[in-house]
Amino acid sequence: MNKLTFRSAVFAILCSILIGVSSCVQDDEFDAPNSEIADPVFEEGTIFTNITAVAGLLSQEQDDDDNIFDPQPLDYSNENTVFTYGFNENDIFLEAYVISSDEGGNFFEEIILQDDFENPSIGIKLLIDVNPLFVRYDVGRKIFVKLNGLSVGITNGVLTLGQGAGNEVDKISPADEFEVIRRSSEKEDIVPLPLQISEFTENKTNLFVQLQDVQFNRNQAGQLSYAADAADQFDGERILESCSESSSLILSTSTFADFSSAILASGRGTVNGTLTRNFEGEQFIIAVNTLENVQLDSPDRCDPIELSCGLAASAGSNNLFSDDFETQSTGSLISGNGWTNYIEAGTEGWEAYTQFGTNASQGISARVGSFQSNDASSIAWLITPQIDLDANSGVTFQFETSNSFSDGSTLEVLFSKDWDGTVAGIASATWGVVSDAYVTEDDDFFGAWFESGIVDLSCETGQIYLAFKYVGSGDSDSDGTYELDFVSIDAQ
Amino acid sequence: MLKDKLSANFMKKDYFIFLISMLLTISALAQETIVKGSVLDGTTGEPIPDVTITIEGTEIVTKTDAKGEFQFDAILPLGEQVLKVEQIGFETKRYPIVINEGKTVDITGMTLNFDSSDKKDLFIISISDDNLNSEDDGLTDNVSGLLQASRDVFLNAAAFDFSATFFRPRGLDNANGRVLINGVEMNKQFNGRPQWANWGGLNDVQRNQEFTMGTAANDYTFGDLAGTNNIMMRASKYRRGGRVSYASANRSYQGRVMASYSSGLLEGGWSYSVLGSRRFGEEGYIEGTLYDANSFFVAVEKKINEKHSLNFTGIYAFNRRGRSTPITEEVFNLKGRQYNPLWGIQNGEQRNARMREIDEPILMLNHYWDISSKLKLNTNIAYQFGEIFNTRIDFNGTRLIESDGQDTFVGGARNPSPVYWQNLPSFYLQGQNQSTYDFQQAFASQQKFVNDGQLDWNKFYTANQINGYSVYALQGDVTRDQQLTVNSILDAELADNIRLNANISYRRLNSENFARIEDLFGGSGFLDVDAFFQDTRQSGNINAAQSNIRTPNRIAGEGDKYRYHYDINSDVISSFAQAQFKYNKNDYYVGANASRTTYQRDGFFENGYFPNEPGIIGSFGESEQIDFTNFGVKGGLTYKITGKHLIDVNGSYFTKAPGIRTSFANPRQNNLIVRDLESEVIQSVDASYIFRSPIVKARLTGYYSNFTDGSSVNFFFSEAGAGLLQENMTNISRQNIGAEFGLEAQVTPTIKLKAAGSFGQFTFTNNPNVSYSTDEYYELTFGDGTSALENLRVSSGPERALQLGFEYRDPDFWNFGVTTNFFSHAYVNPSALRRSGFFPQDPDSYDLDQIIRNDDDRFINISGFGVADYDENVAREILQQERFEDYMLVNVIGGKSWKIDDYFVGFFATINNVFNQEYRTGGFEQSRRTDYLSQIEEGNNTGGPIFGNRYFYGFGTTYYLNVYVRF
Repeated sequence: MNKLTFRSAVFAILCSILIGVSSCVQDDEFDAPNSEIADPVFEEGTIFTNITAVAGLLSQEQDDDDNIFDPQPLDYSNENTVFTYGFNENDIFLEAYVISSDEGGNFFEEIILQDDFENPSIGIKLLIDVNPLFVRYDVGRKIFVKLNGLSVGITNGVLTLGQGAGNEVDKISPADEFEVIRRSSEKEDIVPLPLQISEFTENKTNLFVQLQDVQFNRNQAGQLSYAADAADQFDGERILESCSESSSLILSTSTFADFSSAILASGRGTVNGTLTRNFEGEQFIIAVNTLENVQLDSPDRCDPIELSCGLAASAGSNNLFSDDFETQSTGSLISGNGWTNYIEAGTEGWEAYTQFGTNASQGISARVGSFQSNDASSIAWLITPQIDLDANSGVTFQFETSNSFSDGSTLEVLFSKDWDGTVAGIASATWGVVSDAYVTEDDDFFGAWFESGIVDLSCETGQIYLAFKYVGSGDSDSDGTYELDFVSIDAQ
Repeated sequence: MLKDKLSANFMKKDYFIFLISMLLTISALAQETIVKGSVLDGTTGEPIPDVTITIEGTEIVTKTDAKGEFQFDAILPLGEQVLKVEQIGFETKRYPIVINEGKTVDITGMTLNFDSSDKKDLFIISISDDNLNSEDDGLTDNVSGLLQASRDVFLNAAAFDFSATFFRPRGLDNANGRVLINGVEMNKQFNGRPQWANWGGLNDVQRNQEFTMGTAANDYTFGDLAGTNNIMMRASKYRRGGRVSYASANRSYQGRVMASYSSGLLEGGWSYSVLGSRRFGEEGYIEGTLYDANSFFVAVEKKINEKHSLNFTGIYAFNRRGRSTPITEEVFNLKGRQYNPLWGIQNGEQRNARMREIDEPILMLNHYWDISSKLKLNTNIAYQFGEIFNTRIDFNGTRLIESDGQDTFVGGARNPSPVYWQNLPSFYLQGQNQSTYDFQQAFASQQKFVNDGQLDWNKFYTANQINGYSVYALQGDVTRDQQLTVNSILDAELADNIRLNANISYRRLNSENFARIEDLFGGSGFLDVDAFFQDTRQSGNINAAQSNIRTPNRIAGEGDKYRYHYDINSDVISSFAQAQFKYNKNDYYVGANASRTTYQRDGFFENGYFPNEPGIIGSFGESEQIDFTNFGVKGGLTYKITGKHLIDVNGSYFTKAPGIRTSFANPRQNNLIVRDLESEVIQSVDASYIFRSPIVKARLTGYYSNFTDGSSVNFFFSEAGAGLLQENMTNISRQNIGAEFGLEAQVTPTIKLKAAGSFGQFTFTNNPNVSYSTDEYYELTFGDGTSALENLRVSSGPERALQLGFEYRDPDFWNFGVTTNFFSHAYVNPSALRRSGFFPQDPDSYDLDQIIRNDDDRFINISGFGVADYDENVAREILQQERFEDYMLVNVIGGKSWKIDDYFVGFFATINNVFNQEYRTGGFEQSRRTDYLSQIEEGNNTGGPIFGNRYFYGFGTTYYLNVYVRF
């Protein structure tokens, strides 16, 4: 081949490489797309509404007589009525702020919204079959929810928005996500609403609240995980106690939460979270987004004083005090025999009763319960006479308890060394817990009686009073009854 | 045009010339019987080197030298014989001659015409296609690349027309074939398969190939069942000239430009060859399959003297490709066979999340030493380095929250794939009693999937932006290899009819494996922990989530290694010897090989699940060394009944070390070696009847191969094992039995009829052992630890294939051909888990997490939780292996060439699957929900199975057009 041909060959190779290089395809380098969130554009005639108005439409739907001049409050127990927005109207958009996040896995396919980022008055739960949601709807984001075709109702005891399914509200299809939810460019810091446990009401659910000066129960803090213990089925329910008032509530965590296996913080402080109802819709619970919402940093816990000498092998033969309530008259409040019977709040106190059948009493027994009492608060005391621990040795304390669906109500066995013996002085006295005494628990069989064990008091000194204190949950519909019998205090 | 006619006349004159030569030989007074001559390019008149000249019906073969001349040295058969003259890239010619004792036959000036059909390009297309898409699952491998050099009618059909459909001759895959470049083996130690992309796009310089069928005698290596293909890429072996071509297609790439030039032998003993090519495409037949490949080649050879020659060959083939994935019938019905869920639009451009990039240059130095005319020694040093990586979306980015002295990791998203099971209508139609709401949801999801159904890239960026960390990132799984191979190949003619070949070889591989952050999608960094596993405190191991305990809670940036990082080091020493004997009636050969292979893992991350603590098989540092000693013997016989009728028999027995891939149970996380790992034992025999006449060429072969102690690995997500499992299968026995034939009849000088067919049965012959590994345990087995695969088919493409075709070759340099191809008996790849002891268990009756937690050594067996009312008949029905429907593909091929001055211009085109047949080329059973009860549910769902079989669908009608200029 001659030189000319060779040159043309080289030329041809160069040419084709040039052609090749110029025939570009998309390379590895992609510019980041514009991920700035632009405000949505709405059609002319769009109506904007708020959660209060949405709730109003539901309560109107719930109201049988449909009298708009006599509006009834929202009935949070009515889970069979929904209000559905029509399609053939102007677009109706709900404006609200995101307060929940599934980043930590504690919320699933729902967004909790409230009407403002501070001082909110009402919140609503939006159900949507999309996971995860935090990748688009961050806490504090203002969003618009297109209500046309959606339904509002009560599910699990809280106000809920979603797709109607019969007379219930179900999840919005993922296919409709972008049609239904529009994001605003506005993002605010959600200011949690400070709230005492005693101030919880149904219309405060779905709000991002702040519980100040709280701690986990001393038997759980630093011991149990949030939701990864053997007994945790779907949610881990942990007791959060107030240090400023005598009340507690459940902090509920999904077993699917990323932090489910973290151990409960042992300190005292603040917890922020969404106030809602448990799955059955019976009880107030609080749910956090991540453990950033749990700030229990102060080491100074507010645990009650405890009297704990363990259990004795046997009781002494010298009886100091006993009552089997057989001398009480049924239907009346317990009285006499040195008892102090005090109703601190509400209408219910310790009374004598007899009952037969499965849930039988033991002859005449004592009981207390505020179920369906409609009391805003129920607190009842039954206090023994004073016992002298210095004059007697080896003092023990025994009793039996049973319960009838105690649910949200609690029975505590307390002691005091500084009570002055007067009804007026009960509130100001220092009461500690007799922690070794077994008191029946909610999941015990209601028909059975349980012995306290022979509770040893001998490690304590001085003059003490022993007390049975009943506390209702604040929602009498979820309270129950405790029964008591065979109280006996003995010495060597 | 005038020149065309001249050359046609010249062809006709061939006979005249040879008659003259005959007369000359008769008059010559020679003592010896000699046949000699020369071969020229029919159009240019240039001598053609390296042409194979065979006396048909004998094994007497020689090759032309650089001047295109040849001479037979062997004892020649007398009388009427046929000389076969063949060279890759040229049309084969057959000359009748008469050999008389003591006379010289001199046939100078035989001509060969350049083969304009250019078929070979097509093989490369199908290879690149299938292999680049391969999930390394063995399903998509194709041996057609191996077969491209074959002149066998059947293998030609297999390579060219059957390759579109995963057809595998004799049910063998790539790992059963050997590919050599200049005598250096290129199969990867990782899985035993050649990585075709390493030399893709070099078609013009890969025309010199020597293919050996099966284990037949091969000059370089022991070989393997599917054959051996040695690609000669020596500078001196290329004929002088250049070629520039442009190809357009719509299969894998859209365009290819290629230019090459070879010098031929220059003064001073130098020769060189260069090539550059580029293949490109925004997408192929399957959506979103970007193609971006550049290939460069250079070879320089210096003939130092008559005895020594030194060659350097450098290959750089860079390949970047968007992948596709097999789909379920549900997805196929909604989106069709071109659908690919792996891409989405970003800033107006298609972006594929699963890219494969291959960048592994090869450098080699070859020394050729002709010690004497009968003794040759070839020594090679080859070095290959570079990386292969595959990308995917890592959707498990988390952030660290420290609360009360404890680390918790929040974040992590769900698989963003549009075909994720919860995105499809079937998810909403589980069971049989659907409410209106369920149907609404199903319809909505169907609409969404049909109207969109692609990845949402913006979501990744938004998520990272609003959350301030990388929830999503692009993960690259990188393998960075450095491999050195040294070998020496001896070729000795011990006697006129006895030849000895030997090879000794050493290979050292350092393979570094790690995951790398390729793109943070606008995020600030990626927390290097495994957020899947949250129950770490329960197991008492608070470090479990850490990819590397030694750098806890490290934030990885772009380009940083994360998740896993380890080396595999491998040494292989092998040797081979073979003797070939040639006699008048019989030719036979015997060969043997022996080798030693070692593997060792060396971990650089101390994985949180597998810390280096006493009693735990750790992750950091060196594993045990595994070694395998292997040997093999083979032999074969060709019996010549007459020159027309031959019987050919081959047999072999050999063992093969498992690949690196199947040797480690969970190499990304620990040093555990697969239990009971053995070398595979292979026994094979085949027998052929071969018929050759000037008009008809035919071969009929029966074969039987038996494999025992095989091993394989598989990866999938399964509820059976609580996560992403590595399935390790050992003690696999299988057998391949069948027959194949090829028949070609040159009915007129211009028309050739072809028929080829294969009928096989490829079955498992035992119940192999299966075990599973994840980050939570070393080994999980079910029941007796086996999988009931016996008598099931090994999924290897259609077991039956038949081709009928014709070719018309006009003397005016155009040609046209049609083939019709029938396929049947292709089977789905069976799930081993579905046929393991897991199947009859009731997974709701035990808590796997609990069992794992309570187990001390993390070697777990699950059994004794059987389904209460297990019905054998129902089970049998569920476990029935699906057979795909039969189908027929029609392919058309044609081309033409012209000579203009000194240039040859031509084009060549094919249309594949002319009738746009829809067909499944392969598929596999999903193992996600695979127990008896779940399978019954899957069969009863209103919306069909949620985890149905996934299929590879064949291409519809596609074309390929190549235009070239040659000089």
